[in-house]
Amino acid sequence: MDSANLDFINRMLEQDSELREKIKDQVTEFDKKTRTMTGLLNKIHSTPTAQLPLLLDSVQPILESCKETTGAIANLVPANQFWRWKEMWSISLRNAVFSATLIEYLRSGTLLTLPQVSDILGIQPEWQDKFTLAAEDYLHGLISLVNELSRLAVNSVTLGNYEEPLRISAFVKDLFAGFTMLNLKNDALRRRYDSLKYDIKKIEEVVYDISLRKLAPVSGK
Amino acid sequence: MSKQTTLNTRSAIIQVFDGFRNELDDHNDRRERLIKSSRDVTNLSKKVIFLLHRIMTDDASPEDQDDHARAARAVSKSRDKLKEIQNLFAGFSHELQGERFWRYQRAVSPGLQEYIEALSFTYYLETGRLISYHEVQKTLSDAEGNNYFPLSVEDYLLGLSDLTGELMRYAISSIPRRGGRAKANEVCAFVRNCKADFESFTPYIRDLRKKQNVTSQSLEKIEDAAYAVAVRSSEYDLPPEILDDLVSRTMSSAFGGDHGGSTRRKRPREDDQEGMEYND
Repeated sequence: MDSANLDFINRMLEQDSELREKIKDQVTEFDKKTRTMTGLLNKIHSTPTAQLPLLLDSVQPILESCKETTGAIANLVPANQFWRWKEMWSISLRNAVFSATLIEYLRSGTLLTLPQVSDILGIQPEWQDKFTLAAEDYLHGLISLVNELSRLAVNSVTLGNYEEPLRISAFVKDLFAGFTMLNLKNDALRRRYDSLKYDIKKIEEVVYDISLRKLAPVSGK
Repeated sequence: MSKQTTLNTRSAIIQVFDGFRNELDDHNDRRERLIKSSRDVTNLSKKVIFLLHRIMTDDASPEDQDDHARAARAVSKSRDKLKEIQNLFAGFSHELQGERFWRYQRAVSPGLQEYIEALSFTYYLETGRLISYHEVQKTLSDAEGNNYFPLSVEDYLLGLSDLTGELMRYAISSIPRRGGRAKANEVCAFVRNCKADFESFTPYIRDLRKKQNVTSQSLEKIEDAAYAVAVRSSEYDLPPEILDDLVSRTMSSAFGGDHGGSTRRKRPREDDQEGMEYND
């Protein structure tokens, strides 16, 4: 290999290596934030409904702070290279989606859209080719949400809340109906999608249990 | 906050997921198309490599008096086929514009690396050198110099690394022919340099280590062949071209005009006499 070519290749490899390090640092930060949120949100399984808003408020600032991290990463990624580096932060991003959608569900019982989650995480539309919320990451986040809600259905009953499992059941069934519309390949998303039916089964069993024992409220809401 | 509303009905959710379905279908379909195109590229590239081996080891053709003429013919035929492959790339480059390239890079990578192997083999036969990154990128661009897509350093290095395997085959099949021993030594030195250069890249590129191991094996094969040549020729105090002549004439007299470089029939006794002539 002639020396000009050798130098060029070495320079390219060095640059990529340095960039990888910088992105890794940001991802570590991102990871810390999402883990903290997940830790706090774990308390919902032992928090009475009345105290939930306070708990959710405590998570809010951390969610806000994710904007700095997404901005920092977007700043590092060269133009058009989103798909080249995205695996580095996929896990953290999916966890962030999970936290954001869980908080919204607990507040309003509804589902945050992908653009709304992007907004909350400070992801700008003009970063499209550098940092964006891809459909697959949003969907993975939603599946984690369903996993969590099936647990919540069980624990709500333990806490004496007999309405929550019914709400969760309706919500999760709607989500599942959406998921069944997708033509999935045999990838990780497909495997996790397959696990949804076990969550639904679990929730149905809770609904069944409390219905039989007439614990559930008889009339509408 | 956001102007949009959250989703709270099944129909709203279904509508959003319908959009996801279209998006995922679009992506998966494109990926399948590109994988098929990559296979077409691989196919054609392998044909180029076989073509080069075939021409370089073909002794029967009367027009190839020396290796240079043969190489020139091989290169010229190969360039036509390489152009076909480049046109294939041009054909699907529209699917790889902007940020899409990196999304589908893995789908086109196998074909691309095979093409680089064929291209660099041709380049070596033409120039005796290793093709540079910029020269490869140039073949993947249109007349105005716009690249069909960015060439990743990984694909460049991995494609180039496979070249050493082909060179090993080339060197070893050259040996029985006229001038083949010198050729084997040349190729041996070249592959040794390649291996050395690539060693410094291996920490950066995951799959390069495996390919380096294959290169090492190829190099050893060529080294063993070069050793055998050196040991045997030291037993006869003759210039290498004369040795080659002796061998090829022995071949043709033993098997007739269809084999070896010479088409003249000679009986063993005549060969001995001619060999003695050169001894003073």
